[in-house]
Amino acid sequence: MATATTTAQVSEAEILPEQQTLWSDAWRRLKRNRLALVATIYLVFLIVVALVALVYTPYRMSAVGIAPTYAPPSAAHWFGADSIGRDVLSRLMVGAQVSLIVGVGTQLLVIAVGVPIGLLAGYYRGWLDSVLTFIINVFYGIPDLLVAMIMVFLLGPSLTNIIVAIVVTRWMDMARLMRGQTMSLREREFIEAARASGAKPARILFGHIFPNALGPIIVQATFGVPAAILFEAFLSFLGVGVQPPTPSWGSMASDGISALEYAPHIVLVPSIALSLTLLAFNFLGDGLRDALDPRQKR
Amino acid sequence: MFTRGTLIYVSQRLVLIVFTVLAVSSIVFLGIHRLPGDALFSEHLHGDAYQNLLHHYGLDQPLQTQYWNYVVGVVTRGDLGESLVNRGLKITPIVTRELGVSVTVGLFALVFTVGLGMVLGVFAAVRQNTWVDYLLTTTSVIGYSMPNFVIASLLILVFGIWLQNVTQGAFFYQLGTWTGGIDQLWLPAFALGFPYASIVARLTRASMLEVIRQDYIRTARAKGLRETVIMVRHALRNALIPVITILGPLVMGIITGGVVIENIFGIPGLGKEFAQSILNRDYAIVIGVFTMYAALVGLANLIVDLTYVVIDPRIRY
Repeated sequence: MATATTTAQVSEAEILPEQQTLWSDAWRRLKRNRLALVATIYLVFLIVVALVALVYTPYRMSAVGIAPTYAPPSAAHWFGADSIGRDVLSRLMVGAQVSLIVGVGTQLLVIAVGVPIGLLAGYYRGWLDSVLTFIINVFYGIPDLLVAMIMVFLLGPSLTNIIVAIVVTRWMDMARLMRGQTMSLREREFIEAARASGAKPARILFGHIFPNALGPIIVQATFGVPAAILFEAFLSFLGVGVQPPTPSWGSMASDGISALEYAPHIVLVPSIALSLTLLAFNFLGDGLRDALDPRQKR
Repeated sequence: MFTRGTLIYVSQRLVLIVFTVLAVSSIVFLGIHRLPGDALFSEHLHGDAYQNLLHHYGLDQPLQTQYWNYVVGVVTRGDLGESLVNRGLKITPIVTRELGVSVTVGLFALVFTVGLGMVLGVFAAVRQNTWVDYLLTTTSVIGYSMPNFVIASLLILVFGIWLQNVTQGAFFYQLGTWTGGIDQLWLPAFALGFPYASIVARLTRASMLEVIRQDYIRTARAKGLRETVIMVRHALRNALIPVITILGPLVMGIITGGVVIENIFGIPGLGKEFAQSILNRDYAIVIGVFTMYAALVGLANLIVDLTYVVIDPRIRY
C-alpha cells in the first residue's frame, strides 16, 4: 500500500509541470522581452538616483554661482552649469525625485479614484452606470492641461496641488478600463458562485473582481506614469508647476530655452532624461501588457 | 450623408456648447474672485486712486453684482472685460485675434499630423517585417515618448542655430502674414504634431495590416488593378475607420499642446496669452482666454463628430 502511494506521488510529479502563479509566469515572459528588461534596469537606476539624491548630491541643488554661468559639461560639473551657475547634475537628480513622486503618486490616486467608480458602474449597471459614464464623458470633454493650469493657479503651486490637478483631469482612463473589466468579469462563473454562497457586494467587488482585474490595472497605471510625468513637465515648463528653487525637468528645460544658442546642454540634459524616462515607462508598459495578457493581439 | 436629424443634432450640440462655455467661465470667474486679496493688491495704491480703480473695474460692488454684470456683458455684447495690467485694453478683440492664430497653427499641425502618420503607417504595413517597418515602428515609439517641447527645442537648435546660414532664422511665426506665415509654420506644426503623428502611424499600420488580408483586396488584385490604386482606394479608405476614432483626443491634444508650442516659438496665440496672463496675474484675461478655449474645444469636438459621418457612412445622427 505504502509503495503504491509513493509511485502515485512520483508519477504525479513527473506528469504535472511545476506550479506557476500568474505573477511568476508573467515575470518569466517579461524577462524574455529585451526592451522591457532594459527599460526596467533604467528605471531601477533612476529610482536609485532619486533615493541617493535624498542624502547626497554632488553640490547643493540650489547653490548659486558654484560654477561659471553656462559652464559646459566638465569633470567637476558632469552636466555643466545653468544660467546662474547651479550644478545641472545635482538639479537633475532632485528633478528625478519630483518626476517619480508625481508619476507614481498620481497613479496611486488614480487607482484609488478610478477603480471604485469603474467597479460600481460596471457591477450595478442601470442608472448608476449611466450617471457615472456621463460624468466620465464630461471629463473627457475638458482640455486637461488648461484645466490643470487653472487649478494649480487657483489652489497655489505646490507638489500636492499639482498631483491633485493631474488626478482630476486624468482619472477617467482607469475608471473606463475598470468598468469594462467588471462588466466582463461579473458574468463569469466564479462570481456567480460567490454570489450564490452569499458574499456581500463589497466582498465580490473588492475580493473577487478587483484581484482578477489587477493585470490590466497595472498595465494601465504603467502607461499612466509617463503621461503624468509629461503633464508635470508641461506645467513646470509653462511656469505654473513646481516652484523654484525645487527643480523639475520641465522647468529646467524651460529655463534653458533662452540660452539655447550658447549653452544647449541646459535644455538637452533634462530633455534627454525626460524622454528616456518616458520611453522606458512606455516599453515597460508594452512588455507588461504582453506578459500579463498573452492572448491579446498587439 | 447629412440629414434633417443631423441638423437637429448640431443645433442641440450648439446649445449645449453655449451652456458649457457659460458654466466654465462662471466657475473660473467665481474661483478667481474668491481668492484672498484683490487684483490690485500688489500695486500698493491708497486712498482715492485705489478707490477709483476699484470702481473702474466694478470691483467695489458685491460679488453677485459683479458676476451678474459679467454674465450680462458676455451674453449681450460678447464683452469679456478689460485687462487688469494694461489699463483700458479691451479683452474681446485681443482673444478673438489670438483664437484665429491658434486655430491656424492647430489646423496646420492637424493636417500635417494625420497626413504624415497615415503615409508612414501605410508604408510600414506594406513593407511589413522589413527594415523600413522596423525603422518606422521604432521612430513612432520614440516620437510618442518625446515631449513636444523637447522636439521644439531640438528643431530650434538645428534649424534656428546650427543651420542659421541656410534658414536665415526665418522659421518663427510672424503676425499679420495669414498665408505668408505658412512656410514659417513648419517647425511649430512638426513639434506639435509629431507625437500624435506617431500614434496615427501605429494605428494606421495595425489597421492596414488587417485590411490588406481581406478577400476584396485579393479580388482587386485579381482584377489586375495597380498596387497603388488598391492600397489608396481600396485598403486605406477602410483602414481609416479605426484611425478616425482617435481624432477627438488628437484634436484635444493639439489644442492643449499648442499652449506649450506657442510659448516656445513665440506665436501670439491663445496659449501664449493664457500662460502669460497666469504668470502676470491678469485675472480678467485668464477668465477671457479660458472662456475662448471652452468655446474652441466645444466647436472642435462637434466638427470631429461631424467628420465621422463624412468618413464612415454607417454613422448617423
